[in-house]
Amino acid sequence: MKKSLNGFLLLTVLALALTGCGKSSSTTDTNEKTSSGSTPTEETAGPVTVKHSGGELKLDKPAKRVVTLEWTYTEDVVALGVQPVGSADNANYKVYVTPEAALDDTVTDVGTRDEPNLEAIAALKPDLIIANSNSNIYDQLNAIAPTLEYDLYTGDGYTYDKMTETFNNIAVALGKEDQAKKVLDELDQHYVEAKDKLAAADKSEFHYVLTQAFTYQNAASLRMFTDNAVVIGTLAKVGLVNDWQPDKIEGYGFSTVGIESLPAVQDSNFIYITQPDDDVFGTAMKDNSVWKGLNFVKDKRTYQLDSTTWTFGGPISSKALVDGVVGAITQ
Amino acid sequence: MSSVQHSRPVFNWRTISIYGGGLTALIVLFFVSLCYGEASIPLHTVVDSLMGRQDTLEHNMIWDLRMPRTVIGILAGGALAVAGSLLQTITRNPLAASDTLGINAGAYFVVVLGTIFFPGLMQQSPFLFAVLGGLLAAAAAYFMGGGRTSSPVRLALSGMIVSMVLGSFTSALHIFFSQETQALFLWGSGTLVQNDWSGVIYAWPWVIGVTIIALVLSRQWDMLELDESTASSLGQKVGMARAAGLIIAVLLAAVIVSVIGPIGFVGLVAPHLVRLSGIRSNRLLLPGVFLWGAALLVGADVLAKMVHNSSLELPTGAVMAIIGAPWLIWLVLTRMKAANGSGMTTSMSTGARSRRWSFGPIAIIFTVLTLALVLLSTMFGGMRIPMADLLPSLFQSDGLYSAIVQLRIPRTLVAAGAGAALAISGVLIQMAVRNPLADASIVGVSSGAGLGAMMVIILWPGLPVFLLPIAAIVGAGIAAAIVFSLSWKKGLNPSAVVLLGIAMSAIAGAGIQVLIVRGAVYGSSGFIWLTGSTYARTWDQVKIIGVFLLILIPLAWWLARRFELLVFDDNSASGLGLNVRRTRLLAMTVGVLLAAGAVACVGTVGFIGLIAPHMVRLLTGNKLRRSMFLSALVGAVMLVLADTIGRTVMAPTEIPSGLLIAIIGTPYFLYLMYRSNWRKSA
Repeated sequence: MKKSLNGFLLLTVLALALTGCGKSSSTTDTNEKTSSGSTPTEETAGPVTVKHSGGELKLDKPAKRVVTLEWTYTEDVVALGVQPVGSADNANYKVYVTPEAALDDTVTDVGTRDEPNLEAIAALKPDLIIANSNSNIYDQLNAIAPTLEYDLYTGDGYTYDKMTETFNNIAVALGKEDQAKKVLDELDQHYVEAKDKLAAADKSEFHYVLTQAFTYQNAASLRMFTDNAVVIGTLAKVGLVNDWQPDKIEGYGFSTVGIESLPAVQDSNFIYITQPDDDVFGTAMKDNSVWKGLNFVKDKRTYQLDSTTWTFGGPISSKALVDGVVGAITQ
Repeated sequence: MSSVQHSRPVFNWRTISIYGGGLTALIVLFFVSLCYGEASIPLHTVVDSLMGRQDTLEHNMIWDLRMPRTVIGILAGGALAVAGSLLQTITRNPLAASDTLGINAGAYFVVVLGTIFFPGLMQQSPFLFAVLGGLLAAAAAYFMGGGRTSSPVRLALSGMIVSMVLGSFTSALHIFFSQETQALFLWGSGTLVQNDWSGVIYAWPWVIGVTIIALVLSRQWDMLELDESTASSLGQKVGMARAAGLIIAVLLAAVIVSVIGPIGFVGLVAPHLVRLSGIRSNRLLLPGVFLWGAALLVGADVLAKMVHNSSLELPTGAVMAIIGAPWLIWLVLTRMKAANGSGMTTSMSTGARSRRWSFGPIAIIFTVLTLALVLLSTMFGGMRIPMADLLPSLFQSDGLYSAIVQLRIPRTLVAAGAGAALAISGVLIQMAVRNPLADASIVGVSSGAGLGAMMVIILWPGLPVFLLPIAAIVGAGIAAAIVFSLSWKKGLNPSAVVLLGIAMSAIAGAGIQVLIVRGAVYGSSGFIWLTGSTYARTWDQVKIIGVFLLILIPLAWWLARRFELLVFDDNSASGLGLNVRRTRLLAMTVGVLLAAGAVACVGTVGFIGLIAPHMVRLLTGNKLRRSMFLSALVGAVMLVLADTIGRTVMAPTEIPSGLLIAIIGTPYFLYLMYRSNWRKSA
């Protein structure tokens, strides 16, 4: 029995040794320096303070090597003219997010958005991580690099204002405030032009409902976007009117419904996003009497957007959405 | 046993009430389910549309969206119930049904497999795949359960385990081929939602046709219910009838699975409800069974619709599990007496052979191997750390890979600690219930702990994290108390414990699904309680599992001598001056607490408590301290390896370690069962 006790002791010693070194070294990697980035010219180079859900984050200098763990931030960073060193789920990013915000092949995939691979992130030696609020891994991320976390769906949800606010905050962290201002100004200008196009086509104050639809549990499932969603906020900028007005405010900015809920808005215009391999309204609904009986189907007032229209994106997604909708309804 | 017949008058008030009651229930539920849906359609409109359909949206909704869902519910409930009834008859086993014999899981597994590898073929004839899978699974369950000599409980047990094996394989397919399988059913729980009539059109000819064939052959089934000697004197016809019954049952189950996914418990509950009335002749039994099965499933679906919130829908299968699992418990308790001898009750013998080696060297070898493996495992992951750089990175803060090693150390330690805790818990629980097939996950303790933790996460999201382990302990305690107290009267019969545990797990698992739906949890944060994961574990979890181990291991060590006496049967043990009940309770409590601690840290990882003790039993016999020590090491290594493999093979995506353990663990369990059975009959 003595020997087995020895065994336990040995195990404990190993555990303690690991514990010891775990504590001693966890603070070191934040000072990791990289000199590969281009020399700052028009950008601020000094320390910056960035607002995020966790309060304020101080960076010694604007970040160069950014890892983004949600597509919204990936797109924001790309809009600022920077390619992240690592981003979550690149394969699906390509499927769902507009090619106008494309990632270079050099961007490393760091795993899923729900469970990003911490080791892969650490290996990239980033100087900034941008993540969704998730208390489970924040401390570990912050040990790898200073981490901005945003909870996009609290309060009113991810509204248009929250989109620009998040974008501007990220711009501060990257020392790209000028670029951010330029992007947003150009976007506003783009809205003005879109409005003109709509007016020319006599589609000002066009009423619509917007949905992203997919097959779930064998049946059509529709995310109907509500007024607090960034996509609705974007289309409001060009004067379009959302007819999906549920009683309940949805934090995520959409209600998930089935076909049964559509008759309530059948006099509106139906704008939808589906994936090519899941053509909900094309094949699945083709012979459905309820679908065929809806006024917007009978009057051919359904408009399909490109499958890469990302509905939780940043400025580039907003621009692509406006282009897509204006193109579809003025045809 | 259902095979014990009493001759009763064919038509009595009970027969009439069974038919009348079933029909009334079905009609009422049919109507309710048409009224219930997303759009609020007034009652009189529903009535109008049934009286005469007009081409209005509301009438179309009732006829083309709600009606197909209700009708597929009727077909599915009826088909599964008839299949269950036939299986009960041909196996002479009250616990048989297409889900308890693994047929549903087999069909579903092959459907998923086909979707991935033969999508074209799959589109044309999903049915063939499902039938093939169902037949294979049933055959596997039958032979693993001991074939002809099998007892009812044992057969059901082996079928449940075949289901578990296939279920874990199916989850693995879902993870490895997420792109191809994303449109498949949620968690494979089965759902009745229909887009249109196509599902019904596909299923009804099969269901009705095969059910009529079953009805036409009802004399054959009646013959099978005669007692064994009479039946076998009829010779070959019995075998033929059995085979025909099996094929009919598999056909029915397979067609349903390929439309709505695997839904359990209907086939178990409905036939028993009807049999309670005393109806025995299959000609009368089968239509009644069909009726009640249909009513049950449509009723479950109405409940599922009620739980629906604006974002997610509860799978009908989860509701059915909540309704049906208590029934399984009741059946096990009431039908066990005649069904099982004491064959296995005292056998801790699956591997208790004389030792050939002395313990000392083995302990040293195991310890060294464990340490080496744990250490080496930190080399592997998304990025491989060369051997030469490992030690500097481990012990220096500025090594080349220190940042990565810092992430691997806590999760490795959590994995090691939780693995050890689960293994010791397995040793103790097996000792306490004198059952080599018990462990925390199998007796339902892990699911209970998961449910407890999940409640804290979803119902009171603001609560501090340290309450999580406490909630896990409470959940585990309640589950364990229920399972053990119910099986106490059965002398903690191994099969009874395991079956009750499976039923308990089904309830807790369904409870977790309800919580996920009610809480509208997106993403995976909630799901770790379902599969178990060592992802991103930190020093916090190391501390939690550390506290559990530091308190409970010395306690178990100290009590080991007393616990050892539990291997003897109760009389001899109390003859040795032991308060048997209290000692058992104590051993169970320590075991359950250890498991709860592990679940609080890594979610519901199963099977380690089963496999680790078994692997070392060859070496240690029934010496409890030795067994605890070596099991702990083996358990630690198992979970550490699962963690390492999970973070390495698909990097940067991680495979939950609980799933990997299940992929290895369920077949091992099956093998264990088969072997203990085989040795018994040999």
